[in-house]
Amino acid sequence: MEIRYALSHPIPLEVNLRVQGFTVLLGESGTGKTSLLRALAGLLPAKGEPYSGLEPERRPVGYLPQQFALFPHLKSWQNVAFALGGVHPRNRGLSLEFLGIMGIADLAERYPRELSGGQQQRVALARALAREPQLLLLDEPTSALDVATREEVFGEVLERLRTLGVPTLAASHDPWLAQQADWVAVLDRRGLVQQGSGLEVFAHPANPATARLVGFRNLMPGQVEALDGEMAWVRCGEVLLRAEALPWVRPGKRVVAGIRSDEVIVVRPDRASSLPPQDNILSGRLLSLKPEGLGLRGKFVGALELDLLLPRHVQERLALEVGQTLEVALKPRYLHLMPEE
Amino acid sequence: MLEPLLLTVRLAFFTSLLLLLIAAPLGWVFARKEFRGKALLETLLLLPLVLPPVVLGFYLLLFLGKNGPLQQWFGFSLAFTFEGVLLGLVLFNLPFALSNYREAFRGIDPAILETARTLGASRWQVWREVILPLAAPGLLSGTLLVFANVFGDFGVVLMIGGSLPGETQVVSIYIYELTQALRLPEASQAALVLVLISFTLMYLIRQLEARWKSVTRLATQSPSR
Repeated sequence: MEIRYALSHPIPLEVNLRVQGFTVLLGESGTGKTSLLRALAGLLPAKGEPYSGLEPERRPVGYLPQQFALFPHLKSWQNVAFALGGVHPRNRGLSLEFLGIMGIADLAERYPRELSGGQQQRVALARALAREPQLLLLDEPTSALDVATREEVFGEVLERLRTLGVPTLAASHDPWLAQQADWVAVLDRRGLVQQGSGLEVFAHPANPATARLVGFRNLMPGQVEALDGEMAWVRCGEVLLRAEALPWVRPGKRVVAGIRSDEVIVVRPDRASSLPPQDNILSGRLLSLKPEGLGLRGKFVGALELDLLLPRHVQERLALEVGQTLEVALKPRYLHLMPEE
Repeated sequence: MLEPLLLTVRLAFFTSLLLLLIAAPLGWVFARKEFRGKALLETLLLLPLVLPPVVLGFYLLLFLGKNGPLQQWFGFSLAFTFEGVLLGLVLFNLPFALSNYREAFRGIDPAILETARTLGASRWQVWREVILPLAAPGLLSGTLLVFANVFGDFGVVLMIGGSLPGETQVVSIYIYELTQALRLPEASQAALVLVLISFTLMYLIRQLEARWKSVTRLATQSPSR
């Protein structure tokens, strides 16, 4: 489904966006994600295709605001029945079917205040699906969920939505959610800056802001010195780095080189001599090392400052200690170049 | 005892009814709409809250009484009549009703109303199945508060209505006059009846407010932008 929308209030925004399966609209707060969703639902004035000009009640969309907006005085099944034309016992059977689709038929008699965040979300989804929408709009679907369980809770919801095959547009700034997406669109203050498959956006973000959004912690400004076939030589401070050249890369151009923390490789001391120098080997010192999950997050200081994320098995092999010297490699194919902002 | 009591109940009933019809729509407007002069209008309508009842009664008497503007423009006077007292009580209780109704509507999360429309509901269905059920306890407790308040009024009624038995003599004035006449046993009996009525009404209001808070608890979560 193609969406072309232009809105002027509360922020000016013009987007040309594809929704394909489960699509995540990724962006920092204040970029207009929520506004775009509300415009699509008919709650904000906007021009464009599809549905523009229709009253909200005539649009074939299901809209879930951040806090789900369940009717607090109605039981789960009554919430769903509302979307089927009215809170009436004759709509009860069908309401239970929609609750069943979300796997929560057993919660039909509960009031929203008796449900967990994840359960409320499912009731709200069952209610939205009862309208048989052509498009489902989810505003920050993981933000009201418990952080510890959100991946499990929303992961199962996602499975159900995929089975149903309803095109879904979810606004979010949650990188985890974007990783689950079939299609990712990135919004920043200038508008839509990138869209593509999740893999594409995560490996090759279009600009440093997007890179930060998808989890790049190492972003190093520099300048292209020379091109060598499909590779580029980039000067970042005192270091010359080799990276894959993208079509727009020209000598003299100012760029930002980015690499993910978990793709910075710590070189084993016994192998240091066997690595080719074009792998961007840097020497330095380990400034800090802190547990993160089962792995470790470290800070490397040498010619460049780098954030490292080491899996458990690497630390078990290397037994790194704070203050020691070490070498790291920035493999050219993991080093991603973006134009400077 | 019975005549002033029945008169007060009649006044309380009509005051509450009229205010429900007038102040509930106003409460909705103040809770949900923005317009020029809103703050000014709201201040004006809430003014009786801080104005001494006697002052309000005084101006109303000037307006409604013989030789007042009402007499000059429309040829009749409402001073010392049931209708005149009713008008005074409606104006005097407007702020109580208005602020209660406004809060009842304000307690409903706007996201709920928007979402209701995206679920295919007509405006009428949203009113019938969402707004009214959610606001009902608040509306009812506001109405009961007005009803109870009428029993407590003295100044407005005395200024506009005087003390005509069966027409404008309400319980509070009746008790005052009994006391002046040193008929203390009768006064204390009437006073006790008033205490019982007031207690019952306040108890009901309290219960309703507790219920209202439990219903709107979910509806007042942080609004989304």
